Amino acid sequence: MVESRKEILRGTLDMIILKTLSLGPMHGLGISRRITQITDGVFQVKPGSLFPALHRMEQEGWIVGSWGDSENNRRAKYYELTAAGTSRLGEEREGWHHLVAAIGRVLEAS
Amino acid sequence: MPILPLMKSSIRALTRTEALDRQLDEELQSYLELLIDEKVRNGSDPSEARREALMELGGAEQVKAAVRETRHGAAIDSLLRDIRHAVRMMRTAPGFTVVVVLTLALGIGANTALFSTVNAALIRDIPFPDPDRLVAGDKARGGVPVGPVSRLDYFDISDSATSFDGLAAWVAGEVTVTGEAAPEVVGIMLATWNLLPVLGVDPIVGRNFLREEELEGGSESALISHRLWQSRFGGHQDVVGRKLFLNGEPRTIVGVTPAGFRFMADVDLWIPVERGDYFLDPQRDSHSLRLVGRLKPGVSLAQAQGEVDSIAAALEQRYPDTNKGKGVLLYNLQRYMVGDARTSLYLLMTTTALVLLIACGNVAGLLLARGQRRMQEMAMRSALGAPRKRLLRQLVTESVFMTLVAGLAGIAVAMLFQKLLLQLLPLGRPGLPEPSLDATVLLFTLLMSVLAGAAVGVIPALRATSYNPWEELRAGSRVSGGSRASRARILLVVAQVAISVVLLVGSGLLIQTMVRLTTADLGFEPQNLLAGKVGMRAAVYESAEERSAFFTTLVERVETLPGVMRASTISKLPIASPMTDWPIWHADEPRPASGEAELALARWTTPGYFETMSIPLLRGRDIATTDGPEAAKVLVISEAVADGLFPGQDAVGRMVKLGWTDDVYEIVGIVGDARLDGVRSDFYWAMYMASAQMSSTFQWLVVRTSGDPLLVVDSVRGILHDMDRDVVFADPRSMTSIIGSNLSAQRTVTTSLGVLAGIALLLTSIGLYGVLAFHVNQRMGEFGTRVALGAPMPQLMSSVLARGSRMVGAGLLVGIFMSVVGTRVVRELLFETDPLDPAVFLGAAAFLGSIALVACVLPAWRAAHVNPMETLRKE
Repeated sequence: MVESRKEILRGTLDMIILKTLSLGPMHGLGISRRITQITDGVFQVKPGSLFPALHRMEQEGWIVGSWGDSENNRRAKYYELTAAGTSRLGEEREGWHHLVAAIGRVLEAS
Repeated sequence: MPILPLMKSSIRALTRTEALDRQLDEELQSYLELLIDEKVRNGSDPSEARREALMELGGAEQVKAAVRETRHGAAIDSLLRDIRHAVRMMRTAPGFTVVVVLTLALGIGANTALFSTVNAALIRDIPFPDPDRLVAGDKARGGVPVGPVSRLDYFDISDSATSFDGLAAWVAGEVTVTGEAAPEVVGIMLATWNLLPVLGVDPIVGRNFLREEELEGGSESALISHRLWQSRFGGHQDVVGRKLFLNGEPRTIVGVTPAGFRFMADVDLWIPVERGDYFLDPQRDSHSLRLVGRLKPGVSLAQAQGEVDSIAAALEQRYPDTNKGKGVLLYNLQRYMVGDARTSLYLLMTTTALVLLIACGNVAGLLLARGQRRMQEMAMRSALGAPRKRLLRQLVTESVFMTLVAGLAGIAVAMLFQKLLLQLLPLGRPGLPEPSLDATVLLFTLLMSVLAGAAVGVIPALRATSYNPWEELRAGSRVSGGSRASRARILLVVAQVAISVVLLVGSGLLIQTMVRLTTADLGFEPQNLLAGKVGMRAAVYESAEERSAFFTTLVERVETLPGVMRASTISKLPIASPMTDWPIWHADEPRPASGEAELALARWTTPGYFETMSIPLLRGRDIATTDGPEAAKVLVISEAVADGLFPGQDAVGRMVKLGWTDDVYEIVGIVGDARLDGVRSDFYWAMYMASAQMSSTFQWLVVRTSGDPLLVVDSVRGILHDMDRDVVFADPRSMTSIIGSNLSAQRTVTTSLGVLAGIALLLTSIGLYGVLAFHVNQRMGEFGTRVALGAPMPQLMSSVLARGSRMVGAGLLVGIFMSVVGTRVVRELLFETDPLDPAVFLGAAAFLGSIALVACVLPAWRAAHVNPMETLRKE
């Protein structure tokens, strides 16, 4: 496994996880693998940051976890986006676009 | 997140911590298994897959710790965890815990007790509304306070001053109450009609005095205390209008003051001071009253002082004979009531703070030592992923938790300390709040406990967590890396020794003062001397002859009692009743201007007084029975007056004038100087008139006995009862006990300081012992080897002793230096004692040195008696 040096941009982990879960319920490892896959391995989310983020967002009420069976009959905790989570994702996305636009303007300024 | 759900989830997180932890465990387990499945699917063999998966997970404990930190209420949760751990640690080392808690409880308790006293005297308000606006006033000469104010000056100031809502005056005394019940002697306050309104106090029954009652002869009213109302009138509502006889003069009760009302003196009666011709301060040069006033809102003390100064200046112009250089000095009332107690309170507060410092030093030392022993635990936990911050927080929580427990125990210590010692501490004048463990005090204790916990915990915690885990683990059972911690402990002990020296020197000085006070030459012999008050009704004994005859008969009959050697009477008993200084001047000279007159304490006696008191008659004769009301006026003076007024001449036979009349007195005798105003007083100017010539209705009876003076009290009472049922023998006490109470304030301060210095010394010795014992323990192996190689015992002992003496020596030097600077704090409390008395300094150093030596000898002896086989086997 290639050790990626790219850390997820501070503050964007929540958004990325929320976006990932917007595709459907997923367990911890699934989320981690999906992020790696989508970003072509640029981002890797380790358990040390994944679980605290999941539990924090569960407390905030953005996602909800429930136990279910995995594809090969292992018990796993599946996380799912709530209505609050969906609107939170919207806010984060909007904030992100603002940020990108602002940085873009800074870089293109002559 | 809104508040309510946040609280809910915090509480859930706290109450369901274990369930949440279990779920997290399961979740991580499932994550691991999924990971292994994945790796197996990708072609790894199962055991290799497991190893890789574990590495990728990167430490389940760290992940769990990180998740816990994100939980709502995580801070409280980890605090609870730390406290649980602290309780566990305390239970596993009960000896250590008991020593730490007791040490700190002692320090915190003493501070709590002292603070409750300071709180009552200096911080809490006196129990009157708007206390900041209340002021007290004394007469001043040249800006220096010199006692009470003249009644006539008071009325002039009070009539023209505009700074006050009211300015009142008072003087306390004693009076015999008769009528309706058995006669008794009670405290009485002569006060201007507006005393209660100025203080903001209302009578609970009846009314206050009226303004008209201050007019000449305008009043026969009296207010009585709640106590007297209950005891003498059974608390009946119809008390208003009832009559009392005060020294035989009838008075009508107009009201009752509230229960617990105390102001300046413990009295049960109040009667109004009148204007015009009145027995108290008939002249402007007689001073009896103290002032108390309420400033108008917005008027400052300085503004009021300015106005009073200008009125005093006007009075000086109008009455140059009596008012030259005379003024009135105003004080904040609370400051005035606390008075001299302030110095003692500050001294004791500082001392207890120092004792707490020493106690903290010991506990910090113990924690440092334990930290060295717990290094492995810390290393292990740090290796398992506990961040240093977390370990630090846990160690500090442990020590703070311990000091909080000690704080609780300290409250019990405080109560004990308060009961045993501080109650005896004179807290200034009656009327100040009583010391109690109120909310402020408890908050102080809490704060102090937390601060002490942080203070003793932080350095040891930093030390205990500052090492490389690998080194510590490798070192095995041996304690290593402790040299820095040991150095910190040595510094702590040096500081403790230094503080102990200061406290020992301070209490040494006070003890010497106490010795000087108790052995001070009073000028009379206090042993086997009984004294009590005798007051008759002026209306019953109208003439000077009748009064004089009563006292003469009384003395004659008392002298016939078995065990009585001599008896006499005097207007004011030495030590017990001070003051009353009158001017005295040569009869052929004009009355000296006020402020330039020589003053002497004025007393009047019946014959035999000097013999009874054992005051030596130096020249001439005593007052005699022939010095009656109609005979020429005679005077006996003290040696100091003779030397002062008639230097180098024979004073006997000379004529003088004194006091406020123009009468001429012939000096018939000279007696030895005596301390009349108090044991500390060095004012020896005294003059004794014949009580028959002063027409006195009140005298102290003094009785010289051959044995215990209190044995004759009942017989004296019997004689008085037989002579006149309305005359009582009030407050009989032995002279030694009167002197004892005169010194009780000093004694309490001395005892408190002595006890505190003793505690400090004990704690310091324990600290010293602890450091040396630890040092010896750590080097058991080395000592064992040296014993095995034949090192002589004295050499081993002296190496440990030398280590101890270096610490003690350094502390002694620092302490003596600090004492030289610091003794100025106690200077005010000293009596005939040099604040730099070398004997006291040497004594303190020697005392500390010898106790310290004992603390060093035990560890040294152990070092020299090590069993080499045992220690080497342990290695």
